[in-house]
Amino acid sequence: MKDYKKYFPIFEKEKGLVYLDSAATSLKPKVVLDKLMEYYTEYSANIHRGLYPMSERASEEYEKVRGKVASFIGAKSPEEIVFTSGTTAAINLVARAWAENNLKEGDEILVSEMEHHSNFVVWQQLAKRKKLSLRILSLEDFWQEKFGLDKLVNKRTKLMAVAQISNVLGKINPIEKMVAEAKKINPEIRVLVDGAQSVGHVEVDVQKMGCDFFAFSGHKMYGPTGVGALYVCEDRMKEMEPADFGGGMIGEVGIVDSSWAEGVEKFEAGTPPIAQVIGMGAAVDFLMGIGMKNVEEHESKLLEYLLEKLGELEDVLVVNEERHNRIGVVAMVSRVVPSHDLGYELGEKGICVRSGLHCAQPLHNKIGEKYGTTRISLGVYNSIEDINKLVEGIKKIQKDYK
Amino acid sequence: MDDLYRQIIIDRYKNPINRGKVIGGKNAVKANLSCGDKLEISAKIKNEIIEEVKFEGGGCAVSMAAVDMLCDKLKGMKIGEVMKMSGEEIEEMIGMDLTYSRKKCAYLGLETVKKMIESE
Ligand SMILES: Cc1ncc(COP(=O)(O)O)c(C=O)c1O
Repeated sequence: MKDYKKYFPIFEKEKGLVYLDSAATSLKPKVVLDKLMEYYTEYSANIHRGLYPMSERASEEYEKVRGKVASFIGAKSPEEIVFTSGTTAAINLVARAWAENNLKEGDEILVSEMEHHSNFVVWQQLAKRKKLSLRILSLEDFWQEKFGLDKLVNKRTKLMAVAQISNVLGKINPIEKMVAEAKKINPEIRVLVDGAQSVGHVEVDVQKMGCDFFAFSGHKMYGPTGVGALYVCEDRMKEMEPADFGGGMIGEVGIVDSSWAEGVEKFEAGTPPIAQVIGMGAAVDFLMGIGMKNVEEHESKLLEYLLEKLGELEDVLVVNEERHNRIGVVAMVSRVVPSHDLGYELGEKGICVRSGLHCAQPLHNKIGEKYGTTRISLGVYNSIEDINKLVEGIKKIQKDYK
Repeated sequence: MDDLYRQIIIDRYKNPINRGKVIGGKNAVKANLSCGDKLEISAKIKNEIIEEVKFEGGGCAVSMAAVDMLCDKLKGMKIGEVMKMSGEEIEEMIGMDLTYSRKKCAYLGLETVKKMIESE
């Protein structure tokens, strides 16, 4: 198998580090770190403001990323990409800039039970405030891939908000099929896809999926923290109103009223995370350089091995044992070591996994694991040896707790 | 984590002494939602002194062992003293320094006890 660790400087400092928490945040390759350094040391200026060469270069680099991201996720044009601080901010932006102005009392929003809190609480609270009704797609429906949308979708359903990949189950949801099914009942339904776990792990094509909005984070796809993006299809973009006001988003400002900038800029008030956006561009280049097909293949081989090894362990229950239609995000429970202790003890051995509810409490309640699960998640830098160390670690810790 | 203390915690988690419910006393429930720990503490308090205290609930070994040890310590203590107890005392009690997230686990017992004392 190919060794991708060499692209990540952290492994030079942290010898023997076993990082299996990429679903929380990924490690950063040297090309991304270099790009941040380049910005801060060569053209560290604000954008869209100065006329001096350094500022012009910063603006160019920043805007170039819009195009890179657009083609990386299959958008029609860079004008459909709004930079945000991450997935959470992107979803909140849809609520405030679009749903706020296009949904009214009595309308319905459909969300799934497996959502991360950031694609759940946003809609729950909006529904409460605007007297909308929140309908829930059950976990069972996802397992069986029979959504019974005819019972859940009707003419009042204005938005379906669902993750492309669950951050606990790792399951790749059949968005294209769900969108088609929902649109058969209500052609006017709009669809938001939470892509936090998909970008950087599977090839993404927003047009093929047929979604209106697509949100993701830079830090989970080998980019810097503090940045992400929201794809908004052209038609929905016309229905959005600015939600944050200030510099950079205005057209003209008078004492009584103001007008807004043309295009996506009106959703990027204030100085944006310039370095981070530029760094995220380098992360896109990094992934395209490897090739998403190769990324997928590398991670699925590791996933297969991981599932096989976990399956051999006594007292270990894997939440989603499916081998297909999923990525390397695997939640498990030990019947002898509470998940929190397992995470801690593995950490003491230099093995990083995540324990808890993973910001998906409704899902954990549903699967009956209210004390949480331990999640192992893969990135390109992982190897067979990492998995061997993990499995040995779990065995040893379970023995101590028995 | 020191191996000896680690073993003590694991043993205490597996064989708790103060698990149960004090009937007819005060009680309070508190949860640490990031990891799913959930505790219920019940106690009999007479003349401002804790006579009996027990816990129920589930969670990680550190939170369960810490609350179990805490119950031992609380018996006979004045509630005023309990309200003044700090996180460091919990760390001393279980015999180790805790990392950022583990503090939340270990302190859950004390926080729940304080909540119970303050309740009507
Ligand atoms: C499925 C899913 N949605 C949303 C988020 C939130 O992402 P962020 O914290 O980067 O805004 C995450 C990450 O934790 C996630 O896994």
